[in-house]
Amino acid sequence: MMSNSWRFITTIAKKEVIEFIRDWRTLLALVVIPLLIFPALFIALPLLLQSEAAELDALDLEIVWQGEVNDELQLAFNQSDLIITYEELPNGIENLSDIGDDIDRLREQEQKAIFRLAENDTGWKFSVLYISTSEASSEARSRIIAAVASWESDVVNGTLVDAGLEPEIALNPVTWDGDVSAADAATKGEQAGLVLSLFIPMVIAIWTASSAIQPSIDMTAGERERGTLEALLCLPCTRLQLLAGKWLAVATITSTGVALQIGGLLFAISYLASSSVIGVPSISTSSALLLLGAVIIFAIMVVAFELALAMKAHSVKEAGSLLGPAVLFIIFPALFTQVLNLDSIEGWWFAIPLVNILLAMRELLLDRVIAEHVIIWMSTSIFYAGMAAWFAARQFKREDLVASIS
Amino acid sequence: MNNPLLSITGVAKRFGEVEALTHVDLTINSGQVIGLVGGNGAGKTTLLRLIAGVMEPTVGTILFEGKQVSTMRSKLGVVPESTGLYSRLTAWENIRYHSRMYGIPDDIAWNRVSHFAKRLELTESLSRHTKGFSRGMRQKTALLRALAHGPDILLLDEPTAGLDVTSARTVRSLVGQLRDEGGTVIYSTHHLAEAQQVCDRIIIVHNGTIRADGSPEELLELTGQENLEEAYVSLTSDKSRTRAEDTAKDGKMAKWWRRFLTGSTPSGKYSSQLTSMEVDDDE
Repeated sequence: MMSNSWRFITTIAKKEVIEFIRDWRTLLALVVIPLLIFPALFIALPLLLQSEAAELDALDLEIVWQGEVNDELQLAFNQSDLIITYEELPNGIENLSDIGDDIDRLREQEQKAIFRLAENDTGWKFSVLYISTSEASSEARSRIIAAVASWESDVVNGTLVDAGLEPEIALNPVTWDGDVSAADAATKGEQAGLVLSLFIPMVIAIWTASSAIQPSIDMTAGERERGTLEALLCLPCTRLQLLAGKWLAVATITSTGVALQIGGLLFAISYLASSSVIGVPSISTSSALLLLGAVIIFAIMVVAFELALAMKAHSVKEAGSLLGPAVLFIIFPALFTQVLNLDSIEGWWFAIPLVNILLAMRELLLDRVIAEHVIIWMSTSIFYAGMAAWFAARQFKREDLVASIS
Repeated sequence: MNNPLLSITGVAKRFGEVEALTHVDLTINSGQVIGLVGGNGAGKTTLLRLIAGVMEPTVGTILFEGKQVSTMRSKLGVVPESTGLYSRLTAWENIRYHSRMYGIPDDIAWNRVSHFAKRLELTESLSRHTKGFSRGMRQKTALLRALAHGPDILLLDEPTAGLDVTSARTVRSLVGQLRDEGGTVIYSTHHLAEAQQVCDRIIIVHNGTIRADGSPEELLELTGQENLEEAYVSLTSDKSRTRAEDTAKDGKMAKWWRRFLTGSTPSGKYSSQLTSMEVDDDE
C-alpha cells in the first residue's frame, strides 16, 4: 500500500516536472536567472561600474576658470586632466555660486564645469558650477574639488609649519593605534556569516515564494482551465496523493531554483573572498543541518499554501490575482526580520509565522544554536506547515473541482 | 445468479439547492454498450462522474462488482468530454502517464496501445506532442489512454462531439469492436441516431431523472412511436433546465448579481429550470 502511494506521488511529480520544464521560458526562469542573479549583482555590476569609472577617469574635461589665478592651484589642476579656459568673473552676480548667464552653456554642456575663485580679506573664496545630471560635469566638479582640497591642505600645512607646528600632530591629535580589523574578536568566517545572514534568509524566502507561484498555478488552476484535471481525478489515486505529487513537483522546481541561486551566491562570494572583500562563512554541522531543516519546513509551508490558494481559484487569471499579492506577506516579514536585534531577542519572536523561520536562518548563519529558540521555531513551523498542508488538502478534496470545469 | 458489473441504487446528487439527479436505479451487466441519451443539462455527465468515482452521490450507492466504486477505479477507463491531454507531452507520454498510475508496465501498455492505435489510425502520431492535434486526434488519444490498462468498463462522455464524420465513424467502430470482444461501454451522447447505431441499450436521462431504459425496440414499444426521435420527444416533453452544476456553483454574490441584472431569481425545486433558449451548449 505504501509503495503504491509512493508510486502515485512520484509518477505525478515526474510528469509535472517534465511537462513544466519543456517550456524554454520556464527553463530561463528556473535555471538561468537564479544562477546568474548574484554573480551578476556582485561580480558583473561592480566590474561594469569600475570600467565606467575608468572610462570617465580617462576623459580630458573642458572647464572654465573664472576670476583670480593661483599658480599652486593651477599646478594641481594641470595634474587632473582638465583643459582650462580662463575668463574674468561675470558682472552682476551676487556671490560665486550665482550661476547667472552661465546657465545655458552648462546645461548645453559646452563646458563641463565653471570654477570661480576670488580672494578677499578673510582668504580665498571659490565655487564650482556644474550640472548634477551629467556624469562628465559631476566628474569635472569632483576633480576640481579634489585639486582645491589638495591645495587647501598645502596652504594649511604651510601655515602650521610657519607657526612652528607639526601638521600631522596638530590636525590628528587622536588616532587609532594598530590595525582596525585586528581588534575584532569575530573570525573572518563569522563576519561573513553576519553579512550573509542579512540577505540569505530574505533571498530564500522571496525566491521560494515567488518561484513557486508559476508551477503552483500551472498544476492546479491551469489544469482546471485546460480541462485536464477531470481525467486526473478519475485515476485510482486519492486526492491527497495527487496533492502530495503536485507538492513534490512544485517543491522540486522551487528548491532547484533556490539551490541554483544559492550556488550563484556562493560562487560570487568565493570570487569576492579571493579579492579579500568578504570571507567564507564558517558554520558548524549542526547549524548547517538545522538550516537545511528550516528551509525544508519553510518550503513545505509556502508551497502547500500557494497550491491551496491556486486550487481555490477557478482560472489561471484568478489564481495569479490571488498569489501575486500573497507574496507581499512573505516580503514584508522578510524585510522586517532583517532589522531585529538577535542579541537580546525574546523567545516569542520565534513563534510568529514566517518571521520565526527567517530569524532561525539568521541565527544559524551566525552559527548560534540556541536550544530554546530551536524548539520554538521548529515546533511552531511544523504546526504552521501542517496547517498549510491541511488547508491545501481541503481545497483538493472539494467536489466542485470538476463541477466547475464542465 | 451472477452479480451485476455495476449496480446503482437510489442515487441522487444535489449541488447546493439544486437536484442534479434524482432516484437513479440502474443495473449494468458486462458485455453491453449502454447509451446515456439526453439534452444539455440532463444529468448525463453528473451520472458518469458518479460512476467514475470523481463525485460522491448525495444519497444512494454505486457498487462495482459489489464494492464501492471509489475503491474500484482501477477497473474503469474514462474519457471525459474535455479529453484532458497535456499539450507539452507526446500522445504516448500522455497514455504512459495514466497507465503507470494504474501500475501497468510500459511494455504491456505499449502493446495494448499499439493494437488499438492501428484500429484508430493513430500509430504514426503517438510520438508527436499533442499540442497540434485536431479534436479527432485528441479524442482518439484519450480513448487509447482509457484503454491502456485494460479496464472492465469504459465510460465515454460525448466521445464524438465536435469530431468530423470520419473520426466519429472510427470511434463508433472501435466501440462496436469492443462490444464484440465482450467489453462494457457506457456512452453518453445527445445524438439519438448515434445511440441507436452503437448501443444495445439506451437510457434516456432528462432533468436529472431516468425517463426510459431499454433496447431501441423496447423504447418504441413503451412509447408507441414509430421512430426513436418521436419516442425521445414524447418522453422528454417537459422543458429542459440549464446545467445544475452551473447554477449550484454560483455563490451568493453571483446570485445577487443575477437578481440585480434580471430583476428576479428563479425559485422552487428546479430553480434552474429556465427556458430551453438559456441552456448551455457545452455539455
